[in-house]
Amino acid sequence: MTFDINHIAKLARLRLDGAQAEKFAAQMADIVEMVAKLPEIEDAAVELDPQNPMVLRPDTVEPSLRTEEILRNAPQVEAGCFVVPRVVD
Amino acid sequence: MELYAMTAAALSAAMRRGEVSSAEITQSVFDRIRAVEDKVGAYVTLCEEEAMAQAAAIDARRRAGEALPPLAGIPVAVKDNICTEGVRTTCASKILGNFVPPYSAAAYEKLVAAGAVMTGKTNMDEFAMGSSCENSAMHPTCNPRDLSRVPGGSSGGSAAAVAAGEAILALGSDTGGSIRQPASLCGVVGLKPTYGAVSRYGLVAFASSLDQIGPFGRTVEDTAMLLSAICGPDAHDATSARREYPDFAAGLGRGVKGLRIGLPREYFGPGISDEVRASVMAAVEAFRAEGAQVREISLPSTDAALSVYYIIACAEASSNLARFDGVKYGYRAAQYENLTDLYERTRSEGFGDEVKRRIMLGTMVLSTGYSDAFYKRAKRMQGRIRAEFAEAFETCDLILTPTSPTTAFRLGEHVDDPIRMYASDVCTVTVNIASLPAISIPCGTGDGGLPIGLQLIGPRFSEALLLNAADHYEKLAGGFGAVPAVG
Repeated sequence: MTFDINHIAKLARLRLDGAQAEKFAAQMADIVEMVAKLPEIEDAAVELDPQNPMVLRPDTVEPSLRTEEILRNAPQVEAGCFVVPRVVD
Repeated sequence: MELYAMTAAALSAAMRRGEVSSAEITQSVFDRIRAVEDKVGAYVTLCEEEAMAQAAAIDARRRAGEALPPLAGIPVAVKDNICTEGVRTTCASKILGNFVPPYSAAAYEKLVAAGAVMTGKTNMDEFAMGSSCENSAMHPTCNPRDLSRVPGGSSGGSAAAVAAGEAILALGSDTGGSIRQPASLCGVVGLKPTYGAVSRYGLVAFASSLDQIGPFGRTVEDTAMLLSAICGPDAHDATSARREYPDFAAGLGRGVKGLRIGLPREYFGPGISDEVRASVMAAVEAFRAEGAQVREISLPSTDAALSVYYIIACAEASSNLARFDGVKYGYRAAQYENLTDLYERTRSEGFGDEVKRRIMLGTMVLSTGYSDAFYKRAKRMQGRIRAEFAEAFETCDLILTPTSPTTAFRLGEHVDDPIRMYASDVCTVTVNIASLPAISIPCGTGDGGLPIGLQLIGPRFSEALLLNAADHYEKLAGGFGAVPAVG
């Protein structure tokens, strides 16, 4: 099974320099070879936990974290917002 | 005996009788940390001041006549992927190196409610991806039984802390063996609960359908005490099971007469070292001599389990780790030209190599043209593996296997060979794939006095049965729990 390491890195928002790309490509090839040995079977895929189906919480207003607590870990904040580079020209 | 070397059960009883205070116990643990932590490196962050204050508060409540839970005043270490409000939680990653959570994980909240004293946050493989603790961006952790060897992973810091007497108990997390394998390599007890038994709220997600928080202790009884404190339903985790749990420590001591134990032949194959096989089989004979009925069984799809595990776990990881983008929290690259550049530089500089490998493998198995061949096939095989366990549990109560195919390997031995590293999880990943509970307990030592562990696997929510069988073996073996000299 072939793959393009640079394409995968791009999808994953990672950047690899030439030497890294080569090393990762070789290691990934070994890993892909290992996982590709999986036999094809017709069984149905499983639900996460059939005996314990997930139940959603009622959508009610509860106390939650304050904005300043949420923003405390952000790398750059201005006027109560996360700051990112310009995305619209 | 020094206080740090005693069990939680004995310390709890001594505190109730007024013979010792939590402050004295906590001080003893920090004295031990000062003596050996330089060699072991079990912790990422130590919380001595906070711990001494918590201990003093517990002692004051006890002096005031308050009836306190069994873990009140007991020093417990917490793996660094479990959020602790106000205390740095790094996942041993550069990308979360400065992250101080504004909230606590539900399991940690329960510990606090039980009066436990947190010693600090323990080292791990970055984002719990690894089997040796060498993938930590902070520093490696050494095995207290032999400092030239790994403690296992990914919860290697928690296992090493408990083994070395740098904590009485510890919390870890287990996605493919990350509690049981380090427990085995460090000679302590570690339990991976049934999926849904312990809330994952506040556990930094690696593979959400497989992750589970669980306890480490030096004895089975201690491990049972910690499990009782952390399990239970939680509205903040939609996969948390709505059920009641017994007092696990109170349920020990029922013997193993008539217990049906299955030995799956696929777990005793050529990949298992001779000394591990011999020690595990000697334990099997001990169970048999106590009246357990031992029979050989087969779990035919075991060979496919590692592949199923790496596909499902990495697929989920690639999605879960997409949130680390340099915007909301954590590391941000210093230089960038636009938003995409910000994401790429932040992630490339912030993640270590193993995390990148797994994100890329996960991205690949979910991408157009590959998801049918990899992800969907793995999900179907997961169903087959589950069905095989269910069938096995029709004829046996528990399944017994080695925990790790070998004893602790040397630091650096497998770092450049991901496949060799992955193989150390071969006996443990099936349990996560099938959402089952399992416990690893010591069963002797091999070459160089290195610990060997056996794994008991049970049906969903059979933790009481597992702990009882494990405790019975511990009594036969003359007790676990001795703290070794370090270095």
